[in-house]
Amino acid sequence: MQSKAVEGFMKGPINPNNFVLQLPANYAQTLHKPTASIVIPAGQTLQNFTTKANGSGALATFSLPPGVSYPVQIPAGVTLQTSSGHLYKVNVPVMVTQAPASNRILPQPIQHVMEPREQVAPQGAVASVAPSAVLQTIPPPAADTYTPAAPSTTLLHPSEPQPVPHQQHLFLGQGGALQPPGALQPQLTLPAVPQPPPLPTPAPVTPDSPGDDEFTLDGIEFSPQPLDMSQPSPFAAQLSSGQACGGQLGAGREEVGQDGGGSLPVNAGEAKAQLVEPAKLEMDLMRDFNYNDLEALQQLDGACDSTSEEEAEEEEVEGGAGADEDEFLGMINAEALKALQEAEGSSEDDGSSSDSDALDDAVEEVEEDPLNSGDDVSEQDVPDLFDTDNVVVCQYDKIHRSKNRWKFYLKDGVMCFGGKDYVFSKAVGEAEW
Amino acid sequence: MKIDCVCTSWYASVRTLRPDSLMEANNDVALDIIITNVVSVFRTRCHLNLRTIALEGSNVIYKPEVGKVLMKLRKPRITASIWSSGKIICTGATSEEEAKLGARRLARCLQKLGFKVKFTAFKVVNVLAVCTMPFHIHLIQFTKNNRPIASYEPELHPAASYRIKNLKATVQVFSTGSITVTGPNVRHVAMAVEQIYPLLFECKSTMR
Repeated sequence: MQSKAVEGFMKGPINPNNFVLQLPANYAQTLHKPTASIVIPAGQTLQNFTTKANGSGALATFSLPPGVSYPVQIPAGVTLQTSSGHLYKVNVPVMVTQAPASNRILPQPIQHVMEPREQVAPQGAVASVAPSAVLQTIPPPAADTYTPAAPSTTLLHPSEPQPVPHQQHLFLGQGGALQPPGALQPQLTLPAVPQPPPLPTPAPVTPDSPGDDEFTLDGIEFSPQPLDMSQPSPFAAQLSSGQACGGQLGAGREEVGQDGGGSLPVNAGEAKAQLVEPAKLEMDLMRDFNYNDLEALQQLDGACDSTSEEEAEEEEVEGGAGADEDEFLGMINAEALKALQEAEGSSEDDGSSSDSDALDDAVEEVEEDPLNSGDDVSEQDVPDLFDTDNVVVCQYDKIHRSKNRWKFYLKDGVMCFGGKDYVFSKAVGEAEW
Repeated sequence: MKIDCVCTSWYASVRTLRPDSLMEANNDVALDIIITNVVSVFRTRCHLNLRTIALEGSNVIYKPEVGKVLMKLRKPRITASIWSSGKIICTGATSEEEAKLGARRLARCLQKLGFKVKFTAFKVVNVLAVCTMPFHIHLIQFTKNNRPIASYEPELHPAASYRIKNLKATVQVFSTGSITVTGPNVRHVAMAVEQIYPLLFECKSTMR
């Protein structure tokens, strides 16, 4: 049961012809810097799109050349349209790749990414491609909270050249490491990317955020996109794992990230931007950015439980092992969507178990009575060990229990007892627990 | 007259409310209130994977048709129903303290299985106690005396049921003199016994 959103996607190599680039009207103006640095493998056609965009005042449409093989870099502000008709709006420079099935990435808070939907007029179901980074400049004092709301225009159009004293620099979150929203704090001190001066975008209402989104993929470098930084990106901190180095941008860059800065070329394996299915994005838009999409996606059994926010924050702060790695801001692998959902339940438990081990002594509970690890709550005195060689392998007719009296009606089995094997067609047993 | 709660260290004393009670000279008649069952609930505040508990836990019974796992503990002999939402109902304890201890042990077991459990919202929801009067009771007369509060339908159930509204307790009176009391906690149960003893004493039929 595959979502319709991904019906165009095949397991095999995706035909690049499926994608049609639609560029906004003023995209050309913003392109002068990135254009120079855009490197699209085997995409000589695309390199001309700047001129094309310049020529047309309206939306420019390009088709990816047939020879284009993945990964493909797509600068910000373009809209991708698949052959199936789905539209994906790229707000930040992304790298469209064909992700392996095992790579599960989730769209993280995308609500703000969806804002500039209106920018692209004709699209009905536009899902913004939520790449790793939404470039934003955030003034340090004010950047405590992430406000998903942002003027839509800001995302589309690069923010005007603000005299950004601080250089903030968002890391693209890609493929592998996904930082939980709690790790957004470091975003405040991200080094910014200098905005290209002639950007006619309206001043962002919300606090600036560095619009520099730069990531290096296999040596391919993306010059900083003058994306709008008006809204703090919840992705920002999360992107630290896939980090784009701002090295080429200039000096004075404080790189923030979980890994602590330094321009790190994104690992090829990690840097994958996936197209997000529109339905999923829309759903996520409504959520609080602190909302844990991973947990919201699937619960294998039982009703949706309200995982405490303290838990989520703990995980975020810890940068916890299992579950966090599987969370990815923005991109979900279209092909692996199903696999993601199935594996999610197990990953939750793995994450919870690893978290519990890690946090065992540290943060037990915030509630009334913390379960001290064995303090007053002693373990069961008699640990049951099933280190026995006496086993019965059989089928059962009925297993009955009354209080602590058990009765077993078994059939067709073999009992290994005292080193000897006994075969039976019927066996009756009684036991007291 | 004193009322003892067996199996608990709780001790309450009762004074006969009516000075002209038909009590004999010996006023020290010990009434043993035996708490047979304490039901409590608590929440782990985290989702529990029932399948994991069923496969890796010890002393568990998995009931997939209902969607819960029963885990039995030996030490405080309790049985807990565990739901995947993290709500756990703990039954079988014989005192409130034991119920809490057993619940914590249970949460500890779940924690060992790898779940991030938090022991929250522990509450004793029901206490069941039995008590035996030293006399038989005339149920018809008892029901007549306490008409609206007591109800007796011998064809349905051999006991007369007496609901104490302010205590939220229910007392079931049998003609043999045995009564069962259910209430939200032990204190209410004891108060209910105190309250109903004089009423029963009025309608006693024979001495044991």
